[in-house]
Amino acid sequence: MFTRKEARGGKSWSFGGTPQMTSSLPNVNLSLRDLSACLSTTIEPIVVAFNMPAYHSIFLEDRDVPVIGNFPILPLRTRTRGPAYTLPPLPNTDDLDVSPESESYDCVDEILSLFRANVLFRNFEINGPADRMLIYGTLFISECLGKVKPTMNSRDAEKALTNAALDNFAIPGDVSFPLNQAFEAPRDRQDAETLRQFIAQVRQEIAIRLHGRLYPGGVGPSKFWLSFTKRKFMGKSL
Amino acid sequence: MANQTPAVVMDNGTGYSKLGFAGNDSPSFVFPTAIATKAAGSAGSSAGRPPVANKPSFLGGGGGASSNLSAKRGTEDLDFFIGDEALAAGQGPGYGVNYPIRHGQIENWDHMERFWSNSIFKYLRVEPEDHYFLLTEPPLNPPENRENTAEIMFESFNCAGLYIAVQAVLALAASWTSSKVTDRSLTGTVIDSGDGVTHVIPVAEGYVIGSSIKSIPIAGRDITYFVQNLLRDRAEPDSSLKTAEKVKEEYCYVSPDIVKEFARYDREPDRFLKHTVTAPNGRSINIDIGYERFLAPEIFFNPEIYSSDFLTPLPNVVDGVIQSSPIDVRRGLYKNIVLSGGSTLYKDFGRRLQRDIRHLVDDRIRASEARSGGARSGGLDVAVVTHKRQRHGPWFGGSLLGQTPEFRSYCHTKAEYDEIGPSIVRRFALLGGPGSS
Repeated sequence: MFTRKEARGGKSWSFGGTPQMTSSLPNVNLSLRDLSACLSTTIEPIVVAFNMPAYHSIFLEDRDVPVIGNFPILPLRTRTRGPAYTLPPLPNTDDLDVSPESESYDCVDEILSLFRANVLFRNFEINGPADRMLIYGTLFISECLGKVKPTMNSRDAEKALTNAALDNFAIPGDVSFPLNQAFEAPRDRQDAETLRQFIAQVRQEIAIRLHGRLYPGGVGPSKFWLSFTKRKFMGKSL
Repeated sequence: MANQTPAVVMDNGTGYSKLGFAGNDSPSFVFPTAIATKAAGSAGSSAGRPPVANKPSFLGGGGGASSNLSAKRGTEDLDFFIGDEALAAGQGPGYGVNYPIRHGQIENWDHMERFWSNSIFKYLRVEPEDHYFLLTEPPLNPPENRENTAEIMFESFNCAGLYIAVQAVLALAASWTSSKVTDRSLTGTVIDSGDGVTHVIPVAEGYVIGSSIKSIPIAGRDITYFVQNLLRDRAEPDSSLKTAEKVKEEYCYVSPDIVKEFARYDREPDRFLKHTVTAPNGRSINIDIGYERFLAPEIFFNPEIYSSDFLTPLPNVVDGVIQSSPIDVRRGLYKNIVLSGGSTLYKDFGRRLQRDIRHLVDDRIRASEARSGGARSGGLDVAVVTHKRQRHGPWFGGSLLGQTPEFRSYCHTKAEYDEIGPSIVRRFALLGGPGSS
């Protein structure tokens, strides 16, 4: 995408990249700069991107996904109880490489497979509610990686990850939630409670499956995964 | 004598100089375009030395007399090294390393003259009066620079004949060795990626379309830095620049899609490799090679993962360059996208580039078909040419054209130079263009 500098014509070949004054774009264009700029109360001009290379959620195609605020309540393949619709478990036990065609493929599979690519990007355009799930999950994986130390054995890491998942956490609308510019608060207390339970489910599921990837065959942690610890997706962290 | 000798082909780039003889399939010498001189490179610090023409001689007025520098110099001027020797001498005391070429153009003519003199007499060991010379220049080189070059080549070295060719055009000629190229045209888009900068240069019928050239601040050095970053993120026992460079050159390739490639590494753990570095003390250090194999060249296609201020992917830049060129040559520019330079050597680089540009083109065609309401486009052929001579593309193109029988008729000879003066080299007939074999 364009940086501001480029869009203003500092570099040549703009594709009509003039900043547009829009108060409610469906595609909120998130970048560190935009977010920090938005902290001042006025609505900043938003650069319309022509090329957005980071990977997006395939669940954007799914219609009729219930949302709370603008956070999607997507089905999950999980044994944790909660508000999510439960998908059938995988026929075989290996969950490292689930095909997106499979009926058991859920957003956690997607988050884990896109994490290593997307975490390299600083800019991400939100194309719909499912992308917010992706952002949240990606940032939570980053948090999890920070909890796993290279010296931990599988058992200790499992504990650390479970604790991270069950820890107190902020949901959209809370003051301490870092992405309130892009996430809407739930309408009422009841919605907020459902959302909290759903996010808790997602966090636990991510923690469990991430552990499987960090310790393939029980040995690890994989230094190739841990090398992504320092990277910050969109320059943000939970 | 000059009738039988092969032409000397010299391609002096910002980073490396490639020297050799026309007709060979690789340069005889490749070394850094560096010169080590006494007195630490600060100009004019040695007392008693006359101010040497650092500026082009046309400013000094009078073509002939001022350029005969050798008469005015003392012997300290002979105390210098070029190439790898220069870098070695620069390590020790007493010498300073200078790089006479900046951004492709000669900046310091005195150093360049001495660099050439050593190139010719010490490395190539030829008598310049017996040989024709083929030199290269970057696109948009001012004609004054060409005149200076001619002054030095004819008056200092007394060479038999001179031709100065544009590097991008030679890179196009070098691609004729590919089996994919059938029509030997000098129309095409050259992507020249060396160590410091990447250029995208459209060439129509042998002439560079100067207004459409774009350069990208991502090239070999950036890939090395990126590999180094990734090695450091993983806390590998050795993450020096030299190791990063080695990893880059030996293991990197371009993947079609990074997410799929990550998944592939999960499925096939043997894609992770080990690399052994021998430390200066003789011990060997093992480092793991992982995702940098495909992530490093990816910065051409997704600059965002490396740089925060340059974000346009290479395929978009190439597409933009061609779109900004005259409409009647665009088809030819898309059909013949030629790679040149060391940073284009990654496996499948051309394939990915071709696919991505084709996507952009097809999307645009589809959009305009939709807008036109039912008209159908005949489509546009996008082809990226990968060939075996990419690394020293411009030099090899020079070697190819320099061995043709008609090469000499395109050169300006010493006699012509004496007759007309330096302005003669402002124009050269197009070598390898229409009409020649």
